Amino acid sequence: MKLKQLAHARQDYSYGFLDEFAKRELRRRMLKAIALPGYQVPYASRELPIARGWGTGGLQVTLSLAGPRDTIKVIDQGADDSVNAANLRRFIARMTGVETTDDTLRATIIQSRHRIPEERLREGQVLVLQVPDPEPLRHVQPDIAKARAMHADADYAQVWLGLYEQLVRFGRFMNGASYPVIVHNRYLMSPSPIPRWDTPDLHQAAHLTLLSAGREKRLYAVPPYTDVRPVEFEDVFFAVEDQRGRICMLSSARNKFMDELPQPDGSSRFRISDTGYVAKLLKPDQAERGATYYDDDGRFYIEGFIKNNTAV
Amino acid sequence: MIAPTLTKDEADAHSVFTALMWALGHPGCEQRLPTGGLRAFEAIGAALIDLETSFYTPDGALAHALARTGARLAPIDAAHYQFYPELTVHDLDPLHAAPVGSYAYPDESASLLIGCRLGSGLNLTLRGPGIQGSSTLRIAGLPEGFWPLRKNAIRYPLGWDMWLIDGDRIVGLPRTTVIEGY
Repeated sequence: MKLKQLAHARQDYSYGFLDEFAKRELRRRMLKAIALPGYQVPYASRELPIARGWGTGGLQVTLSLAGPRDTIKVIDQGADDSVNAANLRRFIARMTGVETTDDTLRATIIQSRHRIPEERLREGQVLVLQVPDPEPLRHVQPDIAKARAMHADADYAQVWLGLYEQLVRFGRFMNGASYPVIVHNRYLMSPSPIPRWDTPDLHQAAHLTLLSAGREKRLYAVPPYTDVRPVEFEDVFFAVEDQRGRICMLSSARNKFMDELPQPDGSSRFRISDTGYVAKLLKPDQAERGATYYDDDGRFYIEGFIKNNTAV
Repeated sequence: MIAPTLTKDEADAHSVFTALMWALGHPGCEQRLPTGGLRAFEAIGAALIDLETSFYTPDGALAHALARTGARLAPIDAAHYQFYPELTVHDLDPLHAAPVGSYAYPDESASLLIGCRLGSGLNLTLRGPGIQGSSTLRIAGLPEGFWPLRKNAIRYPLGWDMWLIDGDRIVGLPRTTVIEGY
């Protein structure tokens, strides 16, 4: 027997770019994250050929998760074709040989920056969210060690106080993206800067969500069928962004999350932010369209979960 | 440049990990490992532990195999990955001391991998994250007193997480799963 028979052929990179040592560490952390919904698990966060802050957290999770039989979709603010998404997708495909797709229903792993697709994800799909700031307490407690103690004690009083102050000053909750949520009735979690529109999608979802911050070296998870509740008061409720009256300029659809495109005359036009979904609307006979989180009248699929329907 | 391909070891580690992940994501729902029996425990060791981690196992042959990963053999009260191909009544007393993490770092807790027989014996009802409503799990081959011990060990978020292995079948039970029916 020769050495050549024993060793595998020389490769320029390990499968998935990361070496096995790095992948094992990430995988151990991901398992603990799933066992502790919403708890931020520290991890090593390796160097990658893109700069931290450009999706390295999500990328590391995707690379250690992906196998040759996976199909991957990468989006950036809903778009499959933005520079960041296209780069990440090409890198993942080169390093793992996976198939790539724009179709939410076909993908097994969806890496996303700041959006959840409009079509409902199903069991067995993994949503990987890139997280710039994993700490939902940062604006009330900049000291990371003290914030950890607050999580340990489930001491979230200052967050409620912050909400109350917003009500007193502005008459409504001012959090836009990354609206804080309570996961499994225990941990306060930042859902990453997804719009409020997407936040309820995580509640009792069929899919597994993994959130990872490469720069901050923390990852956390929302397992399938887990309670994820936006913070709100008994008498003042969480509300999603108002999409009423907005009509997609490409597909004429309503009641989906829209990008606003300011026009020279001061008016605005709107376009559905989920480009994969728009493509399906425009060519209805080419791909199967799944059920969406919000129906055509803007009603969320879990009845009664969003209590405030007079959105702000 | 051509896309790097999986080596045999990497492919095994990947399929073991995805089985562990989906087992934990859907507690009580069976997943398949690439190998069965004692080899399954070795494969899980190869996929999960290395010189950054500690392990414990009462099984001499398995301890020898797991030591090759570079992980440190540690006592039950310190080991983060504990492998019990067969859990006996004598293991229960020391298991009280298995690490459950701290409130600041609940992830610094033990993960238990326990051999059992799935599909017969106790009929348990499971509830919690990963389970839509409730589900059932039939399980035998664990010593009397194990389930009360687990209940006492878990003070969420403190507690340990476990996988139950029968041949090449695996079921996960994270600390969030509430179990009734024993």
